Amino acid sequence: MDKVLVELKNIKKSYDDTEVIHNLSLYIKENEFLTLLGPSGCGKTTLLRIIGGFETHDDGQVIFDGQDMKDTPAYQREINTVFQNYALFPHLNVFDNVAFGLRIKKLDKDTIDTKVKNALRLVKLEGYEQRPVSKMSGGQQQRVAIARAIVNEPKLLLLDEPLGSLDLKLRQDMQYELKEMQESLGISFIFVTHDQEEALTMSDTVVVMKDGVIQQIGRPEDIYNEPKNRFTASFIGESNIVEGVMKEDYLVHFEGLDFTCVDKGFAKNEPIDIVIRPEDIVLAAPADDRINGVVDDIIFKGVHYEIIVLVNGREYIIHSTDPVNVGDEVSLNFDPDEIHVMKRTDEASS
Amino acid sequence: MKHLRKLSYPYLVWMVLLVFVPTLLVLLLSVSDLDVFNAGPFRLTFEWIEFLGKPKVTNAVRNSIYYSFLATFFSFLIGYPVAYYLASLKTRFKTFYVTLLIIPIWSNMLLRIIAWEKLFFPISILNMFGISFDLIGTDYAILIGMVSMYLPFMVLPIYSVLEKMDRSLVDAAKDLGANDFQTFYKVIFPLSISGVVSGTIMTLLPAMTAFALPERLGAGKIQLIGNVIEDYFLKTNNINAGSLISILLMVVIVFMFIAILRFDKEGETLI
Ligand SMILES: Nc1ncnc2c1ncn2[C@@H]1O[C@H](COP(=O)(O)OP(=O)(O)OP(=O)(O)O)[C@@H](O)[C@H]1O
Ligand SMILES: [Mg+2]
Repeated sequence: MDKVLVELKNIKKSYDDTEVIHNLSLYIKENEFLTLLGPSGCGKTTLLRIIGGFETHDDGQVIFDGQDMKDTPAYQREINTVFQNYALFPHLNVFDNVAFGLRIKKLDKDTIDTKVKNALRLVKLEGYEQRPVSKMSGGQQQRVAIARAIVNEPKLLLLDEPLGSLDLKLRQDMQYELKEMQESLGISFIFVTHDQEEALTMSDTVVVMKDGVIQQIGRPEDIYNEPKNRFTASFIGESNIVEGVMKEDYLVHFEGLDFTCVDKGFAKNEPIDIVIRPEDIVLAAPADDRINGVVDDIIFKGVHYEIIVLVNGREYIIHSTDPVNVGDEVSLNFDPDEIHVMKRTDEASS
Repeated sequence: MKHLRKLSYPYLVWMVLLVFVPTLLVLLLSVSDLDVFNAGPFRLTFEWIEFLGKPKVTNAVRNSIYYSFLATFFSFLIGYPVAYYLASLKTRFKTFYVTLLIIPIWSNMLLRIIAWEKLFFPISILNMFGISFDLIGTDYAILIGMVSMYLPFMVLPIYSVLEKMDRSLVDAAKDLGANDFQTFYKVIFPLSISGVVSGTIMTLLPAMTAFALPERLGAGKIQLIGNVIEDYFLKTNNINAGSLISILLMVVIVFMFIAILRFDKEGETLI
């Protein structure tokens, strides 16, 4: 678990003079489940293509299993990919698509048969062996693509939004199966997704990216609880982000009040951003030493209510299981360790 | 939609007058003894079939098959890599090179044949460069002529399937461990097969039925089936035997087109 499998060192990549990956460094250990999370166009696919060997980087190194991959063509890398657009072979049926890599390796027919059957069972497509892939639905094609990659049991599997076209139930089943397989086979996964919940539930490590730059790397809990900046905080889950000032260590000022907090190491009176998660705020009767506001809206969300409270013209989102009435005057209550102070980034207003 | 149908009337008239009627006439001529000097009455006869056994005809059939298959084979050998290269070019250059390939088709074929003929005589403009060919009447002359005439018809259908092929399939094959050669024969070639079939038939057909080309470059020594038909119609005045051979040739052509359509249901390779 501790050995580093892939190391990216100072990777740079430009397309027609536009740099899409900026000096990116990252490593992934053996048997680690690493997720790349970021908005569309931030360079996730490009990064996977560089690791897979389909794209050459302009600068930097890709080290796989201790070896620089500079001169290793894609077909010699012990890496398999689930492509974002599936890239299934239209002239082959499901079985032949999945068996493609095994046949290249010249395994014997019985082994191929068993392995393909197993892979198809894993993605719940038994009985579809002879179907032409063009006659399959988007979700089925996506599962064929997953089977075609995992059947080879590579050291590293790159998955580019592999569950994007599946409905919720199937998606959850497949999340479970993939995680299970990753743990039992000891394969490392680099998993791309738009879905932050998926990222948080499945990963050992989450990498948040924006515009070709890594914003934060960490365990899901850390990413969620200790977002490093406004971007990560707003990208991972709903949150209330407020500007404030760090008066001194453990003392932060916002909404006109001073609060004790657990953060330190900022300059005196440094402007900062504060994030408070909606589920960390408890509503109570108005009080002088609290942030007070008026309930503006309440929406039933199934498990909880989403309550919007207006404070000096700013909206706060609160998740609570207790209903309130629109127009109620309330105070916002939270513990010191639920105030997360982040360094102010350049585009603080985004 | 209905009133638009009227626009197709000129085409229908054209079809009937210039395709349907002549074909029917040729068909009638091939099974009767009607001809320029005998306008009727119609009498069914199959006596022209015996002409098919004449050495002149069997020889021409053999030549037609021999030259057209060889020319098609060489066109494929040269044309596939060209099509592959063109399809892999950046868009900007693509149009330019494809146009270069098409331009010769726009000039008259007879002119191009005569141009080759001149080059294949021992005394030609090539002497300027110290080169002299004596190829007229040889297999080489016919094959070089045919390949140069029909190569674009091989390249274009293959190019058009390769061009539309999803490049990510090549990545997928590489990803699964296939080297360049395996990627080619397991993915790229099978996916371009409809283009190859179209290209083959588009080359084979005109090569098989050529008559100006063998006449000029073969110096009259090499006769293809087209030359025999021409002979029967214009020189020996046996338009019945000529018609019968034409009809049989047409049947072969129709079968070939059925073959194309079987491989290429949308007809996307037929430009
Ligand atoms: N072949 C290419 N030529 C030019 N620009 C490209 C190419 N591939 C990607 N880009 C650009 O690089 C940037 C990153 O693209 P990439 O596909 O890696 O994004 P992504 O994070 O995978 O997005 P998505 O979530 O939408 O899949 C984008 O701005 C894109 O326009
Ligand atoms: Mg992508």
